[in-house]
Amino acid sequence: MAVSDNPGGERLAPPDGSGVLAAALDLAVEYNFIVIFFFVAAIAATLSSNFLTFGNISNLFQQAAVVGIVAVGMTYVILTANIDLSVGSMAAFSGMLVAVLMAGGHNPWLAVASTLVVGMAGGALMGGITAFARVPSFIVTLAGLVSIRGVTYLISEGTPIGNLPKEFGSLGSTLIPILPGFDFPLMGIIFIAVCAIAGVVLRYTVFGEYVFATGGNIEAARLSGLPTRLMTMGVFAVSGLMASLGGVMLTSRLRIGQPTAAQGMELDAIAAVVLGGTSLFGGRGGVLGTFFAVMLLQVLRNIFNLLGLGSFYQMTVTGVIIVAAILLNRLIDHRMGRE
Amino acid sequence: MADVLTVKNVAKRFPPNIVALEHASLSVAPGEVHCLLGANGAGKSTLLKIVSGAFKPTSGEILIDGEPFRLRSPQDGTRAGISMIYQELDLVPQLTVEQNLYLGHPPARFGIIDRKTRREGAVEALRRVGASFAPDVRVEKLSIANQQLAAIARSLTMKAKVIIMDEPSAALNERELERVFEVIRELVRQGVAIVYVSHRLNEIREIGDRVTVLRGGRTIGTFDVATTPENALVEAVIGQNRSLIERGARRAIAGGVALEVKSMKGLHGLEISDFRVRWGEIVGLSGLNGSGRTTFLRSLFGAASFEGAILLDGRDFHPRHPGDAIRRGVGLAPESRKTEGLILDAAIYRNAALPSLRHRRLLSHRAMRASAEPVLKGLSTKYGDSERPVRQLSGGNQQKVVLAKWIIGGSRVLLLDEPSRGLDVGAKSDLYALVRRLADEGAAVIVASSELEELYAACDAIWVFHEGRNIQLFDPSAADRDDILKASILGVRTSTWQ
Repeated sequence: MAVSDNPGGERLAPPDGSGVLAAALDLAVEYNFIVIFFFVAAIAATLSSNFLTFGNISNLFQQAAVVGIVAVGMTYVILTANIDLSVGSMAAFSGMLVAVLMAGGHNPWLAVASTLVVGMAGGALMGGITAFARVPSFIVTLAGLVSIRGVTYLISEGTPIGNLPKEFGSLGSTLIPILPGFDFPLMGIIFIAVCAIAGVVLRYTVFGEYVFATGGNIEAARLSGLPTRLMTMGVFAVSGLMASLGGVMLTSRLRIGQPTAAQGMELDAIAAVVLGGTSLFGGRGGVLGTFFAVMLLQVLRNIFNLLGLGSFYQMTVTGVIIVAAILLNRLIDHRMGRE
Repeated sequence: MADVLTVKNVAKRFPPNIVALEHASLSVAPGEVHCLLGANGAGKSTLLKIVSGAFKPTSGEILIDGEPFRLRSPQDGTRAGISMIYQELDLVPQLTVEQNLYLGHPPARFGIIDRKTRREGAVEALRRVGASFAPDVRVEKLSIANQQLAAIARSLTMKAKVIIMDEPSAALNERELERVFEVIRELVRQGVAIVYVSHRLNEIREIGDRVTVLRGGRTIGTFDVATTPENALVEAVIGQNRSLIERGARRAIAGGVALEVKSMKGLHGLEISDFRVRWGEIVGLSGLNGSGRTTFLRSLFGAASFEGAILLDGRDFHPRHPGDAIRRGVGLAPESRKTEGLILDAAIYRNAALPSLRHRRLLSHRAMRASAEPVLKGLSTKYGDSERPVRQLSGGNQQKVVLAKWIIGGSRVLLLDEPSRGLDVGAKSDLYALVRRLADEGAAVIVASSELEELYAACDAIWVFHEGRNIQLFDPSAADRDDILKASILGVRTSTWQ
């Protein structure tokens, strides 16, 4: 039966010459999270004269770095339409492992490097189970969330480990003068660098292109000859590595390995990724959105602190803002005909 | 006794100008097995959807027990006593048989299910179909044959007067089918009417009382199964209208053998032997649904496992993943371009360039566009900006993006599975002109289609597939269309030419 499957017919690009304004508007719609970020930052600046000080901006980056790096890894996972619930536990485990290794007398550099390798391998293992045994990543990483936290308690016997080497602590506390009178935290620089590298990988490498393709339509990707199962493993390895790096930085900043650290961090990371416009169904989004969403959530927390409102307000409003941002994105998708 | 279901001169048109059904009539008496027969595209499924209430007819009327009846939704159909069993059995696998039997019409008071009544009803319905399984088994644990019985039992719980079965035999083996037939005979004795849709003549012979033949959206006639010779039925299905077919002139093919399947055993009983395509040749695969065309193409592409001996360009070829096939220059345009062929929300050029990225590590979007756009233009793809998602293109242009993927990816053996599905007439001839051009440039093409007319016009050779085997090779410039259709339907070699 010859029924056309495309009743809407063709929709071609609008003719050129509709003006710079329309193009700017398109960009603003596409990158609405940046517009929202600057809007909220402007509100923050009017509410408190302290907001736009170098000290406060440094603080924002210092505090956002750990969850931000974890969220970058999460972005890769969500782009392939998977989810990684284990990142909070993985961060705590890595933070603990690096402390245990150094307490055992190992060189801090070696300790950090081996911790990152272990985190990456753990992520690859979970990704491998997801891809090759065809178990939903939700389940595999939920198991990871529980077990990895358990291992964290086992290797630390449930107690924090302090007295870490000085040079290790400097990772989380070094301030680098990038402008006269503006000292920027090393952690913030690492966060920005990680975002930049992750963004370049997504945009300019075949690996990145395959991440989008696998998430956009895994069957079409497979029938285009892509190694879709290795891709799934790969993105979980990236997420494991990022969670591990976040955990190491957290331990360095706190100068103590805490087995109870980073509880619920997976939810903060997922919230940031989704708020940044990455689709939970995969194939659409990117690191730039995640970066601004992480900073947006940090600015919100900052506003509440500057206003002297407690964490109860913060939690309530943060949830409402996430839902509002998602609804806005649904609306935009609808308007652009991407149902 | 009045006919339980009468369809009078029903037509169904889809805007703008597609006529799915032109003049269909059918009358079903209580206690008979009434078969519905027709080739692909004859309008069977449209008629079934109208009778079950899923489609509203453009004109014509439907009578139930002699009374005109307006079906506005499938629920109306159910209430009127017409029950439809789809080929893919719309049961919920995770629920029990009993829950499925009463899905949508559970015996309940104030929203609380009366489990006792439901159990009794389920046991009674299962007894009537002679089921050997308990009502509290989950449907997913049942064999396909038993699921079929559960679906029939479900119709009984809805007090169906007419049960329509859409190609029930497609997924059943002979013994299972025999059981289903026994149940049908028993139900008919109890006064239920069965409408049995199939394109297998031997089944119709075995189970049917009367058969109505559809062709080109029209009812050709209703025949008594016992007294009508097979040839007359085939004649009715195929028709006499031969002048419409446009034959391609036979071309001389200079190229050597590109792909040779000496033997292949694959999924779903696929068994292929002595299949050859030469460089520059277009070989068509014809056959009924489920004849193994798709499985064959997917096996050649490494997307379905198989055993056998294949030579590609004179060397051994046994792809285990699509990647293996792609490396050897084989590309597949899958049956469903939307769910298997394209990433709908990704940009046009990114879809087109995807298979060609395998040689690279880093990529430049400018280079990707530069490689994609000339090929897309060469295929006369109409698009505004190749940054736009491929979803926004029409079906014909989407199919060209799929072709472009393999051309850019350097494929020289193209496997096209139903490439024209969903395309209008203009887009179809456009597509086949392109395929012909690619063959002229040296590609080896295998194209599977349900529409023989297309293959007739485009191919240099046509293989008929039947139940997983390639049974006969035809030369479209010499062979008669009817012989090809007869071979597809009957599954036996016809005429003398090979």
